[in-house]
Amino acid sequence: MANNTEANKKGFSWPFWGMLSIYLLVVIFPFFWILITSFKQTGDIYGNNPFNIIPENPTLQHYADVIFEKGIFTAIWNSLVVSGVTTIYIVLVATFAAYAISRFDFRGKNILLGIVLAVSMFPQMIVIGPIYNLFIDLGWTNSYWITLPYSSITLPMAVWILVTHFNQIPLALEESARIDGASAFQTLYKIVFPLAAPGVFTVAIITFITAWNEFVLAITINSNSEYHTVPVAISFLRTQFEILWGQVAAATTLVTIPTLLIVLLFQRQIVNGLTQGGVKE
Amino acid sequence: MRKMGIREFLFIVPILLLIGIFSLWPVLQSFTYSFFDFQLNDRTKSGLYLNERFNVDLYNETSLYIDRFISQDMETISDEEDKESAQEVIDQLANLNEEFSNEEGVITISGEQKEQVESVYKNADETVQNLADEYELQQEENLPLLVDDIKNSMIESNFIGLQGYKRALQDHFVLDALWHTLVFTFASVSLELVLGLGMAVIMNQGIRGKGFIRTASLIPWAIPTAVAALMWSYLYDGSAGVVAEIFANIGILDRPTDLLQTGAGAMTAAILADVWKTTPYMAILLLAGLQNIPNSLYEASSIDGANKVQDFFKITLPLLKPSILVALLFRTLDAFRVFDLIYVLTGGGPGGSTETLSVYSYKVMFGQTNFGYGSVVVMIMFICVAIISTIYVKFLGTNIMDRN
Repeated sequence: MANNTEANKKGFSWPFWGMLSIYLLVVIFPFFWILITSFKQTGDIYGNNPFNIIPENPTLQHYADVIFEKGIFTAIWNSLVVSGVTTIYIVLVATFAAYAISRFDFRGKNILLGIVLAVSMFPQMIVIGPIYNLFIDLGWTNSYWITLPYSSITLPMAVWILVTHFNQIPLALEESARIDGASAFQTLYKIVFPLAAPGVFTVAIITFITAWNEFVLAITINSNSEYHTVPVAISFLRTQFEILWGQVAAATTLVTIPTLLIVLLFQRQIVNGLTQGGVKE
Repeated sequence: MRKMGIREFLFIVPILLLIGIFSLWPVLQSFTYSFFDFQLNDRTKSGLYLNERFNVDLYNETSLYIDRFISQDMETISDEEDKESAQEVIDQLANLNEEFSNEEGVITISGEQKEQVESVYKNADETVQNLADEYELQQEENLPLLVDDIKNSMIESNFIGLQGYKRALQDHFVLDALWHTLVFTFASVSLELVLGLGMAVIMNQGIRGKGFIRTASLIPWAIPTAVAALMWSYLYDGSAGVVAEIFANIGILDRPTDLLQTGAGAMTAAILADVWKTTPYMAILLLAGLQNIPNSLYEASSIDGANKVQDFFKITLPLLKPSILVALLFRTLDAFRVFDLIYVLTGGGPGGSTETLSVYSYKVMFGQTNFGYGSVVVMIMFICVAIISTIYVKFLGTNIMDRN
């Protein structure tokens, strides 16, 4: 760690802890408030004391409403399917591509990398019109085919992280495997893949989160409520005429649980992925 | 490094297909859209039509009626010359009918055929005008309308070239959206950088509870933006929102309702929500950069008697510059194309005061089903994004791609 020694010498200081506490308070407070609201009676959310911290008459009614009336579990299921499928095929495609970029010599490699980088930069709005028309023509709206255009937001990041990762794996092992007569696919399967597993896993997590959070494609192409993903279903809780904050709070709490689990279990991989994709060498 | 053979080429076939079909083709297609007056809700414009087209069905029906009506009046037309010209119109219509007898629906036609249809129309128009002046026709009111339908069966090309761009540059909605986008981007990214850098420096001090701080920091980044936006729209709500209430109590706002119902309030609200969601992410990115700075540098500077502030400006900032620029590049691009947050939080309102380029182009495309003009706005965004990336890459000094 960089400059622990100095901090340890001086012990903790009040401004330091003060700022850290404020930071944590600001980050956590919205979740805390949503959690409280989800147990409040509708009357208490608006009524005379809307800012009470303790719900006066705690209720599970909002949870019942979003589960049985608004079918929030359908949305969670759709999101699981869509993000799961996206993760699986993106990881496969990106692994092969990144391996080729890292290990093979071919013409147009820099062009391919340049295109991958450019795709990660351009506004998502640019693909939405043509993709929508394509899906209308093919009759693919309101289906799980939506996972295919998800590649435009997930694939560049995945390839980028994996190329960096493969470049860090020494060539020697593969060369000896090749001398022993292994084919490119065999080398990839038996030698490289096990070594690259941590990086591949990181990519899987980041891809899953990105797909889980996608909004524009999902709301445009899968407009039928049967195929709503979580972000779309949540956004539809805000209707034009009334907003039932209790339901919003309950639904938000429910859909945050999967994200929370992923972050708790895989935070190390997430941080690795974020820093490899962006800042670090 | 081995040369790529056919078997090795298979490794990159899937990515080429995916990127080609779902990323590059749509970009080229959007670019094409932007040169057409392409509107899904208008039958004559619901496609990209470079050529004039001809509605054969409409023409066949029209010519049938014109033929019948003029024939009915042949008795009335006394002058031989008039009779002849009337017959000529009927013959010409029949000729055209013959020519398109194998076609149906809407077809593309050549320039020659277009001229032919035009001359038939012109002749029919003049003749019918003449006849109507001279004689008492049975269908005197309907005939001119029918003749107009000959012209209407010709559908003009909806290729408009650069006119969409010309319109966009004079469209105050586009200019306002560009301004809102710039304000949002500049304000949120600079706040995120300053706060994120501060938090990264604090987190970099060896402290306990690192795991907890990291988890807490990742959650705002990890939840869907649409969900975060709806969450904040509750906290900002004028009557039930606790944040709006706090702001009003400490005097930032006159009334809690001002937050989402005034233009400046709504923009501030959107920026703050973005700062909340992304500052922790920025802090984590910069923390990784900080941890790469060797401790020996700080030790050396403390021997030389430098203080912490000097350390920060003389060691930390210069060495962190690459990390900062890369983080800034990706954050600037993200903020510039902001959609989910604003679409869900304010919907672009009140009165369009938070409408960014993404939100406006989406509304034009899917609200007004005007894909042509919507694509023009998207292309303008694309150009801005290209400019932003070029500037950053210049600042980065080295090409980003050199890393691989």
